[in-house]
Amino acid sequence: MSKIEIGHGSGGSLTKDLIENIFLKYLNSEELKPLDDASYINLKREKTAITTDSYVVRPLFFPGGNIGKLSVCGTVNDLLVSGSVPEYLSLGFIIEEGFPLDSLETILKSINDTAENAGVRVVTGDTKVVEKNKCDGIYINTTGLGELVIPLFLMDVSDGDIVIITGTVGDHGTAVALARDELHIDTLVKSDCASLHELLIPLFDIEGLKWMRDPTRGGVATALAELSEKTGLGVEVFEEKVPVREDVRFISDMLGYDPLYIANEGKALIITSPEAADRIIDNLKKHPLGRDASVIGRVTSNFNRVRLKTRIGGERVLDLLEEELLPRIC
Amino acid sequence: MNKIQEIIKNIHLLVPEGKRVKIMNVCGSHEHTIAYAGIRSLIPENLELIPGPGCPVCICPESDIVNAIILSKKEDVILVTYGDMLRVPTQNGSIRTEGKNYRMVTSPFECLDIARAHPEKKIVFFSIGFETTTAPTAALLEMGVPDNLFILSSHRLTPTIMEVLVKDTEVGIDGFIAPGHVSAIVGSNAWNVFSEKYGIPTVVAGFEPENLLLGILEVLRQLMYKEARTSNVYKSVVKPQGNKQAQKIIEKYFKVAHANWRGIGYIPYSGLELRDEYSVRDAKKVFMLREVKEKNTAGCICAQIILGKSYPSDCTLFRKACNPKNPRGPCMVSFEGACNIWYKTNAAFTSFS
Repeated sequence: MSKIEIGHGSGGSLTKDLIENIFLKYLNSEELKPLDDASYINLKREKTAITTDSYVVRPLFFPGGNIGKLSVCGTVNDLLVSGSVPEYLSLGFIIEEGFPLDSLETILKSINDTAENAGVRVVTGDTKVVEKNKCDGIYINTTGLGELVIPLFLMDVSDGDIVIITGTVGDHGTAVALARDELHIDTLVKSDCASLHELLIPLFDIEGLKWMRDPTRGGVATALAELSEKTGLGVEVFEEKVPVREDVRFISDMLGYDPLYIANEGKALIITSPEAADRIIDNLKKHPLGRDASVIGRVTSNFNRVRLKTRIGGERVLDLLEEELLPRIC
Repeated sequence: MNKIQEIIKNIHLLVPEGKRVKIMNVCGSHEHTIAYAGIRSLIPENLELIPGPGCPVCICPESDIVNAIILSKKEDVILVTYGDMLRVPTQNGSIRTEGKNYRMVTSPFECLDIARAHPEKKIVFFSIGFETTTAPTAALLEMGVPDNLFILSSHRLTPTIMEVLVKDTEVGIDGFIAPGHVSAIVGSNAWNVFSEKYGIPTVVAGFEPENLLLGILEVLRQLMYKEARTSNVYKSVVKPQGNKQAQKIIEKYFKVAHANWRGIGYIPYSGLELRDEYSVRDAKKVFMLREVKEKNTAGCICAQIILGKSYPSDCTLFRKACNPKNPRGPCMVSFEGACNIWYKTNAAFTSFS
């Protein structure tokens, strides 16, 4: 047994073998083990945050991560930026016939390691197999549940609020673009794919924390453009304050991408009252994942839309782009 | 006040009030810097920075691309070209959508590996661009190439198209920012014709915002004092004589020929073809390629934009039917194309008034 066969998705004995010998080897929470149709979970708080996401990243393995790690981090980070502590995770797999089992094991191990590290339990799952060429290796769908600690609402964002990014922008999208075979460039750029639980949970206690977002597809620019559109407020972004790795800047220049529009998978965009900004920055900088945290802009009622103040003092608008420039980035 | 602020202040001082001043750049990377650094938001409203024919992908004739698609469909051929060329739309689709055996390279030298790895195939390198990309292709030929490697040359000459623009009174160019990379090959003296024959200030500039602004300031200074000279503010890279060795090998392998520019038509002595001695390497001759009649996409004004007669935002397709994912015209494909740059930087919307 070295490849996924159609029978692995039949629900019969091959499925049983796959689940018991491969999946349970890596994913073995008490809730999951009975392998019943549904699992029972306990929720500690009155309110729960729920999110769902699907992962179709190409390629499946890239510097800094793989689709398994990405699907856990992405879901966990969605819960975290919504002011909740991630608790439970469901995983749905759609696997292409012929997919190598050792690749599946690598992905599952990665899922387990990442989930354990982030303190979330995989409590339910599903596997389907489709014929060769009907999907691209493996797709993963997740649902995440988190205990809501502090509800964050976009409507609380107001004139004068401060915009913070927790680290360098554009790493994930650049790493994945380069991992595709078309470009022959050797670099050290790695995806920033990481769970932000240690970085963000301590911020929940800080009064003045208004809103957070993980700037994945479309990057920081898109997240801010959406904020501006929904609130009717403007955002001023200072180009020289936005941390960008030297190699990411070089490669994106070469490929014609703007790091502000490139996906991140281990960063949070934070909107805070001016009073809380210093405390939040201090907190972030204590953790390795927040080492490069920086105040990159401010919210204003003087204009709408997002304006980038360039290094030389020029201005240009950061708008929503109609098309995703790098498809299947997560 | 830092140096950039000082340059900008002086630009404001030198632009005459109530008169439009048009400075054209002829390099996609210059337009890139202008748009990304927001330079247009820093200069007087009556100073126009016009993107000209600076994008090699944009001006590559449709016929050559259609022929490249046809070649890629031959069983014994692998077509090799630069990434952007794969996505340029034609009446018959793009190389990516309609082609069959094709590879992308970032440097012509990669053709050698491909040719050696596939001795049973004919490798056709679709070599496009201005002087900057001609030089590496000539160097490839100079190194000696395997018998199964052929060149489909679609090289063009920057000074020739600039002369066409100067003669076109509709555009009315007051000054040129000459392309930094091309100048490194041809030398700043190559632009003397514009200052000497046509009285147009021409300044070679680099790609950092400060250097480019300095170039703009120098054009304005000359206009103010009614001078017309070829100046060079990019001296660290560009020499008056250029790169003699590169010129020598280009001359050795290529001859100047009449050439077709997409949307513009034939311009005498504006392109480069392989010399007759190297006919065995010339894909046009070896595969007996025929000229395909060009068809313009309805509504697309790329040719007007390349000639500096319109801005991308003047096009009815811009940001609507035409975007980087679904480019309708060549200028939306490459990140050196004005439409692509304006799309990504919202250059049309930088005026906040």
